[in-house]
Amino acid sequence: MSNAIVTNIQGYSIHDGPGIRTVVFLKGCPLRCKWCANPENLEASVQIGFLSNLCTGCGRCKKVCPHDAILSDGARRIDREKCRRCGTCAEACYYGALVRYGEDRSSEEVFEKVRRDKIFYESSGGGVTVSGGEPLTHAQFVAELFELCRQDGINTCVETCGCVPGAAMELVAPLTDTFYFDLKIMDPQLHRKYTGVDNAQILENARFLAGKGANILFRQPIIPSVNNTEENVRATAEFIKSLGREDLAIQLMPYHRMGTAKYAALDMTYELEELKIMSAAEIDALEALYKKLGVQCTVSR
Amino acid sequence: MYEIDQSLLPRIDALELSERNKAWRKAMKAAPWKVYVDRERLTVESWKETEGEDLEIRIAKMLKKVMDNVPIKIHEFDEIVGRPTPGVIGCQTAINVCGDYIHDIWNDDGIIGVTLDASAVLTREELEVLREAVRIFEPICMPSNTYTAWRELVGTWAEDAEAAKLKDPGLQNGITGQSTSTLDWPNILPAGLKTYIERCQQHIDAYIAQGGTDVNKVYFWKAAIICLQATIDHSKRYAKLAREMAAETADEAEKARLIRIAETCEYVPENPPRTFHEALQFMEMCSLAKMFENPMQNNSHWGRADQYLYPYFKNDLANGVPLEEIASDLADMIGRWGTQTFVSDDMNKETHQINFGINNVMVGGLGQDHTDMSNELSYLILHVVACLKLSSPTVGLRWNEQTPDWLMNKAIRTNMDTRGGIPLFQNDHIMIQRYIDYGIPYEEACEWRGLGCVYPCLPNRAEHYGAEGVAAFNLAGLLHVTLHNGIDINGKRTGLETGDPRSFKTFEELYDAFFKQHKAFIYRVFWLGAVARDICHQYTRTPLLSILGIEASMDLGQDLTKAHPDYSMFGISDRAIIDVADSLLAVKHLVYDDKVLTMDELMEALDSNFAGERGEEIRQMCLHQPKYGNDIKEADDMVKRVSDESARIIYSYNNAPFRNMIISREGLAWHYFGGLGAGALPNGRPALEPLNDGSLSPMRGADKNGPTAVLLSAISSGYSDVCCSAVLNQKFNSSLLKSEESIDKLVAYTNAFMKNHGSHIQYNIMDTEQLKDAKANPEKYPDLIVRIGGFSAYFVQLSSGIQDDVIYRSEFEL
Repeated sequence: MSNAIVTNIQGYSIHDGPGIRTVVFLKGCPLRCKWCANPENLEASVQIGFLSNLCTGCGRCKKVCPHDAILSDGARRIDREKCRRCGTCAEACYYGALVRYGEDRSSEEVFEKVRRDKIFYESSGGGVTVSGGEPLTHAQFVAELFELCRQDGINTCVETCGCVPGAAMELVAPLTDTFYFDLKIMDPQLHRKYTGVDNAQILENARFLAGKGANILFRQPIIPSVNNTEENVRATAEFIKSLGREDLAIQLMPYHRMGTAKYAALDMTYELEELKIMSAAEIDALEALYKKLGVQCTVSR
Repeated sequence: MYEIDQSLLPRIDALELSERNKAWRKAMKAAPWKVYVDRERLTVESWKETEGEDLEIRIAKMLKKVMDNVPIKIHEFDEIVGRPTPGVIGCQTAINVCGDYIHDIWNDDGIIGVTLDASAVLTREELEVLREAVRIFEPICMPSNTYTAWRELVGTWAEDAEAAKLKDPGLQNGITGQSTSTLDWPNILPAGLKTYIERCQQHIDAYIAQGGTDVNKVYFWKAAIICLQATIDHSKRYAKLAREMAAETADEAEKARLIRIAETCEYVPENPPRTFHEALQFMEMCSLAKMFENPMQNNSHWGRADQYLYPYFKNDLANGVPLEEIASDLADMIGRWGTQTFVSDDMNKETHQINFGINNVMVGGLGQDHTDMSNELSYLILHVVACLKLSSPTVGLRWNEQTPDWLMNKAIRTNMDTRGGIPLFQNDHIMIQRYIDYGIPYEEACEWRGLGCVYPCLPNRAEHYGAEGVAAFNLAGLLHVTLHNGIDINGKRTGLETGDPRSFKTFEELYDAFFKQHKAFIYRVFWLGAVARDICHQYTRTPLLSILGIEASMDLGQDLTKAHPDYSMFGISDRAIIDVADSLLAVKHLVYDDKVLTMDELMEALDSNFAGERGEEIRQMCLHQPKYGNDIKEADDMVKRVSDESARIIYSYNNAPFRNMIISREGLAWHYFGGLGAGALPNGRPALEPLNDGSLSPMRGADKNGPTAVLLSAISSGYSDVCCSAVLNQKFNSSLLKSEESIDKLVAYTNAFMKNHGSHIQYNIMDTEQLKDAKANPEKYPDLIVRIGGFSAYFVQLSSGIQDDVIYRSEFEL
């Protein structure tokens, strides 16, 4: 039985696959997309976050910390050098200002949690979605979880950035009902610039899954001034068509900034802060372009 | 099951409010809210004229006097006529039934509170009419005489318990003499009132012929005839007025409208209606008569309108009546009965927080042949309600395994349009099963409908819920009493001496002490209710309501205010179970299991309302104990344990010769009122703050595992096995419910809950930001409706505290 670091298990999720779903967020990601909305899921290990707006200054954290890692003033509360990420402070914090991102969980434990919402899957055709981070950095864990779900008749879905070894894809593909597969930027240099890695492995995995006949919905975060160009749309459409399957579609995910508070909580810097939110009309234009190029396209709003 | 004409559904979806509906709405919104004293002037006159006669007859003649003489008006937008007052929005008073219940009349400023945050101004002369009525009726009405009798038996205990908010003060604010459910529409409509008059006369003739000696029966039938004839005559007054107006107008279209009104009012309610239009006009007159008999009965209670009106609906369509016309009439009537106001004092406002009298309309549900009876009219009712965007009527969808997707989908869309939990969803199977357990056959049980919010009732049975001062009692208040060895929030000894909790060695001692208080309290409330029941019939009669509401009244020759083992039903609501269960579990953990606090420390924190640094620390410890609503077994088990035990005690009370109490756990906005009866609680709630809303909603802010966890906890609570209704409120963010798919998913979500034994759910669909803005800028949101524990209300008319409550209620991001 494998374990993974789980940051959240979220019920009644209705935008992440068919029906009513429970989304399991796993920690760790090979990419470092500059627009990432879930920065707490980038690093593979447990992290402690501090949400300053919830802090009442009661000082309990300082009393309980066994490593003297609590700073008393200023916007930061955690001395990252000293912090051993034990989570004692988060447990003691009554106000939810100190939070522990990540719990070590076995696939069986997670399955037990997921299974609780089975009545909702049954009535809606829903199931479990693993997300992250990049869930397939825990491919063995996902395979075990999905195996249990399959046995229990629960639908399975993976949200992936695609940047994992081919073996991981091979392992989970037979157990997965739907892949939500990100195609962020087609140009390899730009991809490296904005995500830290190039996209060769990603495209390779996409071809692999498409060739296997997997059920895939491609997704593209639309980041103003990064990939909202005609050039990128054309290249993406070209790639999808090259896979030779009529049923493959792409869903556009307009950029949002909901995650910025979490950057501050982790003492991280959000580099894209100045981006302008795109209008609905601009998004519609991209959708229309995809359709014109012969690729089915929807927008997640 | 009906064969549904699916092609009708998109046609219904395309319907909009008619011009006359819009004209009414405009007039309604522009009209000043008024209190009319015409009825009370006439009751006093009639009372003086009938001195020495039998009470039943006197009350019938009072109704006749009122209906023969009260001012009437036909508005330019009326196709169906008849209102309680000449103004489009206004109310009559019920002093002859309820006594001195309008406390505002004793102030000389003449300002009278009318439902929520509204008031009407009376002149000096008008005030004097009402004061005169009080001087006459207060000594001879049910509430004052009940309190006198209670004092004889238990001193000031009843008043003390009410002052401490341990029981509802129903009798003080006019909840009396309304012991019926709905009018027997499915039988009245096809018969016409003239048939009812004939049947009363036949009873009189037969009774005399057989040498019957109980003259009270004869009085009842005679009184019923007077009331029925008064209702017919009231309709004919409208016919006469319409003819007079028609004679004076040169406009042909206007003339035609008035002639049609006259012809309709000359025909119904005396005769059975032939069309949908006539059926609604018929119902309007009967509902008015019911209201004039007791204006605190300010609702027409349509019940299963989609069933008994369906034949008229289908016939009209077959005969070529335009769908638009049917919808326009329906909207008119639903709107009219959705905007009935009533006089309401501060206490009533605290306990109820509603804008208007509540007309309850049901859609769908199982029928006699065990199939679902949803039809195109159910769909049209939902559509009309969505177009009207009013906070009332209360619409309940009777969910069952066969409820069709097209109706569920429409119901969720209607929720989106009204934003305020219209319709709410109630589980048909559970409701029917509870009645069957109660000894009611399926054929009768399947006809259940809502009375007010979610409290259910059956046709042809007299519902005594609340009418004898037995309605709701406050378990959180009783926990306070238990923690203080029998002393309530006001410092009075309303409870037993069950011991200082500091002396309790185990958690079970505390638990037992609580239920000792519970049992003693509830038995006493039931006893006092039984006393009130006898007193009611001595002073209050409702011949019209009896004859049109209870079939057995006709056969027995008996007014329904006299309880009868065959038709009387009794109900009670044991409220604040979640608050108590969360609190008990917190004490169990902190004091007895983990021993991180002593009972003395905890009590000190509670009594100081968590004051000081230590107090706040203890409050946080309390808040961080496992709470109901998170799918945590231990917390849900405690809810089930408290719920089961409370129900067991209630059901153990022997109410012979009548049926035992039935339990309904509804909410209203009672949690606000109930909160005033409890100091700080071990669940971490500060003193006097609102309790949890509804009866199955988690503590505010305590549900941290998402909406499905709340539903799973609700299922685990076992409420469905012990009570007939419960209220679970959930708030959803509208911005994320835009797509077709998300609506289907909310349908699936609701279905999953219901299929797995959920008893009730209602949704508020809105944005928190929108609510905050509405609070700051009420003028921008006059139509925003929110749902609170069984009722919908205009958000901007709620008190500031309740507004905060709605905003605060944890919002689920879909």
